[in-house]
Amino acid sequence: MTMAEAVPAALGPGVDRVDGRPKVLGAAHYPSDVTLPGMAHAALVRSTIAAGSIVRLDTARAADMLGVLTVITHENAGRLQKGKRNLFFPPPAAPLQDARISYHGQYVAVIVAETRQQAAAAARLIEVTYDRDEPVLTLDDAAASSQSNPYFIDMKRGDAKAAMATAEVTVEGTFTTSPETHNPLGPFTTVAQWHGDTLTVYDSTQNPFHVRAVLAASFGLAEDDVRVLSPYVGGGFGAGLRSWPHTILAALAARVVARPVQLSLTRPEMFTGVGHRPSTMQRLTIAATRDGKLVAIDHEGTSTASMGHEAPTRKPPTRKAPLQSLLKAPDEQPYPITAGTAAAYACPNVAARDKRVRLNIAPIAHMRAPGEAEGNFAIESLLDELSYELGMDPIDLRLRNYAEVQPQTGLPWSSKALRECYTVGAERFGWAQRDPTVGAMRDGRWLVGYGMAGVTFNHYQAKCHARATVHRDGTAHVCSGATDIGTGTYTVMTQLAAEVLGLPVDRVEFELGDTRLPQAPQAGGSGLTTALGSAVHNTCVALVQRVLTLVSDDADSPLRGCTIEDVVAHQGRLQHADDESRGETYSEILGRHGLSELTVDGDSAPSRAEAGVIVGSLVVSRLGRFGRKLVGASHATVPAGGFGARFVEVRVDPELGVLRIARIVSVNDAGRVVNEKLARSQIIGGTVGGIGMAIFEETVRDPDSGRVANATLSDYLIPVNADVPDIDVVFVGGPDPANPIGVKGVGEIGLVGVAAAIANGVYHATGRRIRSLPITIDKLL
Amino acid sequence: MRDSGKRAEGGRSSTVSLTVNGSGHDLTLDNRTTLLDALREHLALTGSKKGCDQGACGACTVLVDGRRVVSCLMLAAQCDGREVTTIEGLSPDGVLHPVQEAFVRHDGLQCGYCTPGQVMSAVALLAEGRAGSDQEIREFMSGNVCRCGAYPNIVAAIREVAACDAAV
Repeated sequence: MTMAEAVPAALGPGVDRVDGRPKVLGAAHYPSDVTLPGMAHAALVRSTIAAGSIVRLDTARAADMLGVLTVITHENAGRLQKGKRNLFFPPPAAPLQDARISYHGQYVAVIVAETRQQAAAAARLIEVTYDRDEPVLTLDDAAASSQSNPYFIDMKRGDAKAAMATAEVTVEGTFTTSPETHNPLGPFTTVAQWHGDTLTVYDSTQNPFHVRAVLAASFGLAEDDVRVLSPYVGGGFGAGLRSWPHTILAALAARVVARPVQLSLTRPEMFTGVGHRPSTMQRLTIAATRDGKLVAIDHEGTSTASMGHEAPTRKPPTRKAPLQSLLKAPDEQPYPITAGTAAAYACPNVAARDKRVRLNIAPIAHMRAPGEAEGNFAIESLLDELSYELGMDPIDLRLRNYAEVQPQTGLPWSSKALRECYTVGAERFGWAQRDPTVGAMRDGRWLVGYGMAGVTFNHYQAKCHARATVHRDGTAHVCSGATDIGTGTYTVMTQLAAEVLGLPVDRVEFELGDTRLPQAPQAGGSGLTTALGSAVHNTCVALVQRVLTLVSDDADSPLRGCTIEDVVAHQGRLQHADDESRGETYSEILGRHGLSELTVDGDSAPSRAEAGVIVGSLVVSRLGRFGRKLVGASHATVPAGGFGARFVEVRVDPELGVLRIARIVSVNDAGRVVNEKLARSQIIGGTVGGIGMAIFEETVRDPDSGRVANATLSDYLIPVNADVPDIDVVFVGGPDPANPIGVKGVGEIGLVGVAAAIANGVYHATGRRIRSLPITIDKLL
Repeated sequence: MRDSGKRAEGGRSSTVSLTVNGSGHDLTLDNRTTLLDALREHLALTGSKKGCDQGACGACTVLVDGRRVVSCLMLAAQCDGREVTTIEGLSPDGVLHPVQEAFVRHDGLQCGYCTPGQVMSAVALLAEGRAGSDQEIREFMSGNVCRCGAYPNIVAAIREVAACDAAV
């Protein structure tokens, strides 16, 4: 059976979201919609200092309130174990274990009451006295501890410093980005229920198996005794990749009151409780020849992180050897900014390195294109600057330095259609109409600017399992314990299963969001469609194989003796590829064999090249030309992530500083696009996130107290409908051979490049080079 | 409550008569209960969502006497004797309202959390005659935040329903 023959009736542009109907009916049940018999409600009390310790906690008045069932603080919470070590998703510090405070907003008490109103009112009656230390709150604070190469992926090739010294043209700049808060619209909620020593939670998460592991470790349970349900999640954007203290506290509260408990974060709590995109600072230098050939890139990125688990209260953490701290107990999420730098352009000399600064701030979390978005902003902004310096069109400059092979390893890409992204985008946008002179284009009082940026996104795939069942009635059920945070996983997996099994989409049901299902990785890293889609594909192929095995010596079957290569699946029927009259339906086969259903388990795994690229890149970093020879001898292919180009028209009112985004063209090489309607939505959503990053979003911290000063959706600005113009989304390229379904992730790439394209457009319109995000009115006056 | 210290002082309650999606309900509610919490927690109508509880996101949009309101900013007690329509009342027989259909067809949703509020707001917007142009739709739908960023598709969905309505 070949994919070309499994005609994609199940695929194509027109398939509507299968979970669309329950969602428009208000019938999709998110964790906050779960009500269990006897359920109590929990409310949290948060620290009002950023560093120090609790001296006294007065809970008497709260405990005395009508309906209050219990008040839990560090004085009575009991011991909770720390979650298992996890490099990418470090478990949270066990909450309420001692009096120390390391950020404003840290939980100091949880109240459980009969009703939500009672719990919230009682929470306000808790009185806390603190011994306050001076917090370290900003990246440039001299007291902040800075760690070099914290993730061990600093990269280099050639000799950037030497090349800079003799370069014909050099541009440099310092770029900063503000902390952002994910703010998924669904406040993160946990509903926890104990049955003896087993625990069930409904949770807002993108990573249910990680939540399961953390809860099991916290309460000393076997992972099988914890069940995490998350069939619907009200958005994530990375906030749901880690496990958070409130989830542990909900389970703890449920155990204490011996009733189910719902704990729903308030919007202000969402600003400190489920991570944030950290602030970053980058120093970047790019050197080139007069005719636009890059000769050197030197890129240093610094991002902020919380103090982590062992937060001392008076001093920043000691400067442990980085490797030791990494191996011992990672307590913050890695947040490299320059990790993509070495792969972006064909440039012989590159140095890319990261730093991490620990502050008295809430834990960070990956947010849509973490690090990639920030790194891209700097590189694509400075390339734009270089294009003016050289008097060269910005697209020509990028094409001049096009990376035909993966530049760090010298190995070929599995696929790459970035060139088409530029050319198709330029054509659709009308780039040729651009007058390159700064400030030359006007529309009435508006200054008009055209800006563009290129994107090279990394590839990610993790191990994934799935299960597929075909029933005697000719329907199929396919499942895996993944999540669909709005990305379209329910729909795309339904389509991929239908494609292999040769069933109409409405005969296939895909189930997810339950850790009792086969294990799936997080909905993150733009890697779930690749991992889960490949697992679903492989599992369904195995199911067809199983059906054929069933009839392999069945004298009554026209498929007797057939191998999978001999057949196609079509309309619920397996038939000979060269004679469609010779075949039979799943129903006929199962019926004759007295089976009500047939089930197989299957999986997918990343190729060895996945890890090989990182290792290879580092080998080249360490061993230079010799390393490059060594890596080249592997004859491996680099699994490519997505590529893209962004074209933006901005309008600036020169007197008021008002900046409007007039239109955007987003072209992406996303491999094979399984469902164009939904993939387009992902790109649109990413683009809107990019607009937010570029011109609105900034989590403001009070410089004295460390309190988030704009922790509401009226004060923290995210794009609303009127801020978003028409977005023209185009897909180029074709199936990527690195995975059996030919896809590349589309969850994050849409966001990347938008900020740089907007900033470049602002420069084109006004002559002002804004190197600090967001580009707010004050920066344009 | 400020001078409490007695367990009995938890907050007084009132009896409220609401007509929700055509059915009358007499509820005894803690005075602090918002319309949103009354719908979600006392009438099990969880279609209306709580996104911020501060009137800033629109996820809880319902119609009160035909006008769109953010139900998290209204106390249930304020709605005594009034008529409330929620997302559940839009298609009581399970047949999608044209706006719901258009949202699915144009993929005007992703995670779906803001969707009931978007749909209710769109239904009201059409009734208000505010869907005359894309610009107008964008402006008058700007009280409903969609963090997934489905806005262009939401506009397309509303535009299509408006065009159908105009053709009738």
